[in-house]
This record gives sequence, structure tokens and C-alpha cells, in this order.
Amino acid sequence: MIARSLRWRLLLAAAGAILLALALAWMFMTLLFERHLERRLEAELTRDALALVADLAFDAQGVLQLERQPGDARMEKPAGGYYWQVASVAGGLRSRSLWDSALPVPRDVPADAWRLQRRAGPFGQSVMVLERRLVIDSDRPPVVVQLAQDTASLSTARGEFGRELAVFLSVLWCVLTAAAWLQVSVGLRPLKRIPAGLEALERSAGARLPPQSLREVQPLVDSINALADARQKDLDTARRRASDLAHGLKTPLAALAAQSRRAREAGASEAADGMEQAISTIKLVVDGELARARLARLGQVRGASADVGEVVERLASVIEHTEKGGTLALGIDIPDGLRLPMEPEHLSEIMGALMENAARHARRQIRVTAVAAANGVGMLVEDDGPGLPPDRLQALQADSGESLDRSGYTGGGLGLLIARDLVASSRGTLRFGTSPLGGLRVAIEWPAGERLPVG
Amino acid sequence: MRCLVVEDEPEIRADLARALEAAGFAVDAVGDGEAAWFQGDVEDYDVAILDLGLPRLDGLSVLRRWRGSGRSFPVIVVSARGDWTEKVEGIEAGADDYLAKPFQMGELVARVRGLVRRGAGKLSPTVVAGRLRLDTVRMTATFDGAPVRISPLEFRLLDHLAHQSGRAVSAGELAEHLYGVDGSGDANAIEAIVARLRRKFGTELIRTRRGFGYLLEDG
Repeated sequence: MIARSLRWRLLLAAAGAILLALALAWMFMTLLFERHLERRLEAELTRDALALVADLAFDAQGVLQLERQPGDARMEKPAGGYYWQVASVAGGLRSRSLWDSALPVPRDVPADAWRLQRRAGPFGQSVMVLERRLVIDSDRPPVVVQLAQDTASLSTARGEFGRELAVFLSVLWCVLTAAAWLQVSVGLRPLKRIPAGLEALERSAGARLPPQSLREVQPLVDSINALADARQKDLDTARRRASDLAHGLKTPLAALAAQSRRAREAGASEAADGMEQAISTIKLVVDGELARARLARLGQVRGASADVGEVVERLASVIEHTEKGGTLALGIDIPDGLRLPMEPEHLSEIMGALMENAARHARRQIRVTAVAAANGVGMLVEDDGPGLPPDRLQALQADSGESLDRSGYTGGGLGLLIARDLVASSRGTLRFGTSPLGGLRVAIEWPAGERLPVG
Repeated sequence: MRCLVVEDEPEIRADLARALEAAGFAVDAVGDGEAAWFQGDVEDYDVAILDLGLPRLDGLSVLRRWRGSGRSFPVIVVSARGDWTEKVEGIEAGADDYLAKPFQMGELVARVRGLVRRGAGKLSPTVVAGRLRLDTVRMTATFDGAPVRISPLEFRLLDHLAHQSGRAVSAGELAEHLYGVDGSGDANAIEAIVARLRRKFGTELIRTRRGFGYLLEDG
């Protein structure tokens, strides 16, 4: 999961880079601190060495004498960690702290400057030695003055500093990694909105990703939208051609129907029957194709909203202007302000097909009701016609998984098929039953997520 | 009876003209929207058949212009599109009926006859009851002077109530009047019609006198 997550990759890379930088900082700062300690030590040794040299002298017998012992207590205590030694061919002097040991005297001790070196010292200690060859008395041979200090205290100080610095840098690493997490989250947030936009694109070819406020993300959004434009253009072209073809066939079909009737009038009834059968089949295919083109065109549009009462009232005005509809009582009971999240055209096609079907079969009345409940919106279209026997109802309901594409437009209930496919495309469900009025009852339900606030 | 046929496809136009002439109509046939608008504007017709997909001026515009200039003859709209939005637009533009292509000529002639029959044989052209005025020729209604679209069934119910001079009419009697002797059991259909009329005209137009039935508001 981590390897396939951009967030984790960015975060791990940031955490690793920060860790590396802090580790280098730790090493460099520890080294600096050690150098600082060594410089401090050198200064101390030099100061004490100069004081020691100032008190050195040869007596009349040529024996080296120290007029005053250095005051540092460590030099008085055996193996005390701080040592001095003066060596010459005429004998030497050394601090009490050296006890029975001696500092080794290299042959190459410089005469022109003090030299500081780390080397093994007495009592198994590692010491820093400051040494120089000096002439105390021009009549006497030169002497080698050495001061040495145990480096254990240096190591202890460096170790403590290193540990404390490591703790501090660890805390700093945590803070910087958290900041990197925040940075990655903020940086990736604009990308999070894109999947929702792509989901809308998947549902409807007409949807587009909204513009982004970030310059870096906008090119991606533009590219996706350009791709969607191209897809919609292709789809539109295909649908327009299918729709044009279907429309184009309608007028010749009407002309063909005219010829068929003339053939019948001229006595060629058999030929007329054949033509009418063919016309009726082509009409079914054409109507189905047009319905499919309409269905594809409507789709899902973000932000669409239809006033259910208004749409049904307008459809009712069409129904009551048909010869059959004009003889029917239309009962409409829809709460004021009830809305559904779809294009009014979409709802018109659903309710128009169902109301027309109801009007075709009704005896005296059709009834359209809508109820807004907590779990969704329910609508009923009922008529008082003969209805359907239970086996036909079951067959119609069982067939509800079939779509217009697969139905082959046969069976005559094209309006119901169109309505069913349109309901399915708006994420609703459609059920057939028997109305208390006696005829068919078609119940449509849209789940709560599909409902818009009433008002 | 004079009939105007507006259809741009010559074969269908000729066929419509022939069928309507055979049914007893005097037919004028034109092939584009401009000619249709002019013809309908200057001649008196009893009915018109209007294709929506016309050259020069589309059928809906022709219809709106006719209605805008007060031409009130019944119009049957014919179209190849057949979607509900277009049907609603057609009816709202003033059409009286709608047929999708390709249609059965017999059905079209029957509908033309039905429309013409609605406007024929009425002795009194208008019935006035308070703020309600019923045009018995066109089977239309106005309320406070504003036209209200009603169905033939609704018209017949209002017409019956308007002729009762303030007498309350029971749902059973209304059902019998609308549906004949076998309609006495359709009281709930009457309730549905009354409810719909109240939505169109407001609740004051038809009052319910409990135990007696319905009556129109006082003039």
C-alpha cells in the first residue's frame, strides 16, 4: 500500500532526507564541540607550561631546579590526570602525579613552537601532550618541557554533548516530519477533489471538472476536461447521427403509410397489410432509437432540479388535450415545492410515458401522487382500467432488469420500457402492482440521497 | 367545414388533403411556415393540422402567432420528435391535440372530427356564472377575465354546475351526467375532477354543501 501511495512516498522521502540531514548535523556539531574542547585544553596547557618554564633554572652545579611547584592539585596526586615533566641531559624534573612513570620524550620535539599531540600516557591513560624544546640558560643544554592531561574528561564531555544533541535532534526530526506530513496533505488536497469530479464525468458525459485555484493542478484538470470534451463530441456526433437517422425515417414512413392506404383503396389489401406490418415494426425500432437517444442526452446533470408538481401539471395539460385524456378525471396530489435532482425534461419523459400509459387504459380516472419521506421520494401513477392479471404483472416486474437496448422494442409496452430505463438512469426503482382503483399501479422510488430539500 | 393542412412533405400533404376531403372537409394545403401563418391569419378555418418541422418558420412559432393575433380555431400538432417536452410546448403554445409521426390516417381524421364536434351545435355561445365565463363553442373557460385551460370533462362538469342556478348537485348526479347511467358509482372520480378544478381556479369557485353536493360560487 505504501509503495503505491503518493502521500506515503513523499512522506517517507521527506522523513529520510530530514534524518540524513540531522545525522550529518549531529556529526559535524559533535566534531566542532570536540575541537572547541581541544582548543580550550591547549590554551590551559600553554598557560601552565609558560608558568612552569618561568620557574625553571639551573643552579650553580648545573642541576635543573624548579623554584615553585605548579598549584594544580591534580599534579600533586599520583595518576591525577595532569602531568608535567622537564627532561635534559643533565637530569630532569617531573610532577608528583607521574609517580614512578615518565612521559616518553620523542626525538623530534620542536624548538620553535609548542606542539600538541594525543598519545598513550602513563597509567594506561590517553593524554594530550604539549611539548617544546627550550634553552633555559645559554650555557646549558636545552631542556624538553612537557605537560600532559588525561583526555577522559574530554571524552566524557563530548559523549554527554553528543547524547543531549541526539535527543534534541530526534525531537526536531519528529517536528519536521510532522510538518512534512502537513505539507504533503495540504499539497495533495486539490488532487482529492478530482476523483469526485471524475465520478461525475463517468456518470454524465456533460459534466466537467471545476476550475482549480492552484496553477500546478489546473493543467491536469484542463487535460481531463479536454479529454471529456472530445469524448462528448464523439458521443454527440454518434447520437445526433442515430437521432437524425430515426427522425429522417419518420416522414418517409408516413409517406409509405399513405401509399399503403392507397394500395388498399385500389384493392391490393394483401400488399397493404404487408406494408403496414413493416411500417409498424420500423416505427417501433425508430421510436426505441429516439427514446434511447433522448435517454443518453438527458443523463445525470449536476445541480439539476425539477419541480415535481409543475412538471406533472404541465404533462396533465397535454394528457387532458388528447381525445381519451379529455374524458378522464386527473387526480394529482403532490406536495408543494417537492423537487427531484434531475432535469425537468428527464422527469417529463418518465412521468409523460407513465401518465400516457395510464390514460390509455383508464376507464374514468388516473391518479398521480407523490410523497416525500425521510427515506426518499415515492410517486404513484394509477388508473382505474382493467389492470393486468397477476402473471402479466409478475412477468413485467421480472423483466425490469432488462433495458431498452436488450428488449428489441417488442411487446408494445414501449412507454413503460422507456420510463423504466429513465427511472433506472436517475437511480430510482420502478415497481408494478394493482391499484385500489382497479387498474395498473406504477410505483417509483428515489432513495433519500437523490432527494433535494423541499421548499 | 374548412380545414388547413400545413405539411412540408408533399406526399404526406397530398395524402392528408385527400383523406380529409374524403371525410367531408374543404381543405387548403400549404408547405411552409410563412404561408401557413399568412393563410391562418386571413382565412377562417374550422380546424388546422400543423406540422412542427417546417421550412422558413417553425410550427410552434406559427401557432404562437395565430393565437397571438386571436385566431382560435382548433389546431392538431403533428411532429416527428414525439418527446414530452415538445408536446408540452405545443399544448402551451395553444394546440388542442397532438399526434406523433407516423400516424394512422384514421386516427387523425377521428381526432379532427372530435375537435370540430366540440365547437359545433351549441346554441348559447357563453355561459356566465359569477367570475367564471364558459365558451361553449371552444369549450374554454375564463376566470376574472384570464383564460384557464380545462379538459372537456372538466368543462362539462362546470357547464352542468353553471346551469343549476345555485342548486347543490350531488357527486352521484354529476357522475351520471358525465358518464351516463352506469357512472353513478364514480363519486371518487368526481372528487378528483373537483380537486383539480379547485387547483386551477382556486378553492372558492366550487363550494361543497355538506350532505347535498357541489355548487358554483355566488355570482
